[in-house]
Amino acid sequence: MFKMDRNIYQPVKCEVIDNIKESPNINTIVLKPEREFSFLAGQFASLTVPGIGEAPFTPSSSPFDKEKLEFTVMKTGRVTEKIHQLKKGDIVGVRGPYGKPYPLEEFKDKEILLVGGGVGLAPIRALFLALVETYKDYKKIVFCCGAKTPADYIYKDKLFGEWQNLCEKIPLSFRITVDRKDENWKYMEGVVTCTLDGLDIDVKNGVSVVCGPPIMMKFTTLKLLEIGFSENSIYLSMERKMYCGVGHCRHCLIGDLFVCKDGPVFKYSEIKDKPNIWV
Amino acid sequence: MEKLYIKTDDWQGFIKEKIKEKIIYAPFEENNLLFYQIVDEKNIEKIVYNRIRTVEPFKIFLFPFKERILPEINQLNNVIVMGVTSCDLKGLEILDKVFMEGEFKDPNYKKRKENLFVISFDCNEPYDSCFCWLVGVNPYPEKNFDLNLSLIEDGFIVEIGSQKGKEFIGDDRRFYNVNESQLKKMKEKREKVIEKVKEKNREFDFNKIENLKGLVEKEYWQKIKDIDNCVSCGSCNFNCPTCVCFLLEDISENGNFKKVKVYDACQFPGYARMASGATPRPTLYDRYANRILCKYWYMIENFKITGCTGCGRCISGCIGKIDKRKVITELLREKVNV
Repeated sequence: MFKMDRNIYQPVKCEVIDNIKESPNINTIVLKPEREFSFLAGQFASLTVPGIGEAPFTPSSSPFDKEKLEFTVMKTGRVTEKIHQLKKGDIVGVRGPYGKPYPLEEFKDKEILLVGGGVGLAPIRALFLALVETYKDYKKIVFCCGAKTPADYIYKDKLFGEWQNLCEKIPLSFRITVDRKDENWKYMEGVVTCTLDGLDIDVKNGVSVVCGPPIMMKFTTLKLLEIGFSENSIYLSMERKMYCGVGHCRHCLIGDLFVCKDGPVFKYSEIKDKPNIWV
Repeated sequence: MEKLYIKTDDWQGFIKEKIKEKIIYAPFEENNLLFYQIVDEKNIEKIVYNRIRTVEPFKIFLFPFKERILPEINQLNNVIVMGVTSCDLKGLEILDKVFMEGEFKDPNYKKRKENLFVISFDCNEPYDSCFCWLVGVNPYPEKNFDLNLSLIEDGFIVEIGSQKGKEFIGDDRRFYNVNESQLKKMKEKREKVIEKVKEKNREFDFNKIENLKGLVEKEYWQKIKDIDNCVSCGSCNFNCPTCVCFLLEDISENGNFKKVKVYDACQFPGYARMASGATPRPTLYDRYANRILCKYWYMIENFKITGCTGCGRCISGCIGKIDKRKVITELLREKVNV
């Protein structure tokens, strides 16, 4: 956190130590911060590409990893295009962390459902890694993932490897789907909401965490309500245009709520009566 | 608060001495409107004391259109601003909450504020667009100033609003203790101006203004035909004493991080548009509603203060000639009827 006399816009200098291609339009950049940069799962940071611009991202690395910081970024605009071009040794800036983390205290002794779509798996990865680290606190973890095609999946090595191996050791299961499969695909086919059909989870003692494109968040939320999750057990990771990250510039408002300060994670019950929640 | 009296000529003489050491801005007339200009020996006689607000909002002295915020600005001049009106001072309360009083402090704002000396004026001749009284603000300053001038006949009642204000006057003999008859004149004049503001707003009804809270259904907004005239120019935003939206531009060079803050306007279609092209406010109605709801709902939730001070700049500056008072009156009527 910032000391009082520190300029709130001063980023921490970070060196790029890797830039990993995850999918045709998504990369993970691995950074080594000049000084320690701590965050909790769910919080986000603003990433500056010097002279180009700044954009907010939730780190996708484990909050327990104090050595490096990772951001998984989809190529969408001017800043993200430059992020994809970053090379080892390049310098970027990171300021934050901002926003409220996932309330892990409230998740204790509950069954946790994670639903991630596309690049929305990135913030969920940080949460997932934190949950795995403290898995004894939770009854079980069900991780539902979706992507357009098998090639669009990010974290392929982990998801189809070491993460699934964890299922033998801890109460964890995966439900994996793609919108359109190919000949080698051995999991489900269909949009991510189809992973919620026939789900073995105690909705009365469960929480669900959703992150993905707006359309996916909308239909996943509707489905979760349908299968019995209450409005305040659905945690949504909201996305808005953002500049300051500290509740000054007002770009990220959802009604009177700041995504940067009051979020970026909201319970569905908190935002359902605000204007234009699904972009 | 302590009140003194000074003759107009003496005040002019007093200010003439002050401009030798300080930068003083005051309202001057141009094309029948008032604009801030720096006072010098040549124009000092032309300062306008007996009118109303300037075209530019006073916020520009604390939150300029564009400024560097990283690294923060170290050298800031002491500035005196004369002629600030009650509506603009009310707006200052929102700016303070955003930039100075929250968990995160703006790098420049507090310093700018400490370097600023405010000499406010009572309003005398309200514009047709003035509606401070409708939103609970009086057309004369009651707080947030160092000195306030109330013009009465051939002189001013000078109200001291701060320690800085007291020191500014010091033991200058041109200031007298105010007497009862002068205070009575001030009171009568203020009441007259309130009546003028009321008269200009007779056809508008803000009584149930709190009903704007939660008015998210697009159907209400689409019924208000005047909103169609909005051309998304952002004039209402830039001229508003409480609009604080800005964007950040990165101008880092040679390994040093540098950022500037520039006004942004929620009426611009690109304001909330994300890199993907998706925006939560794709239509004119969404954007117009956002501005109104921000003032009369969101800011109340955020800061416990209404975000509108009734200055009327969003009305007088509107290219589409939208009168916000009419829009709100119609909206509230719609809501009652449904």
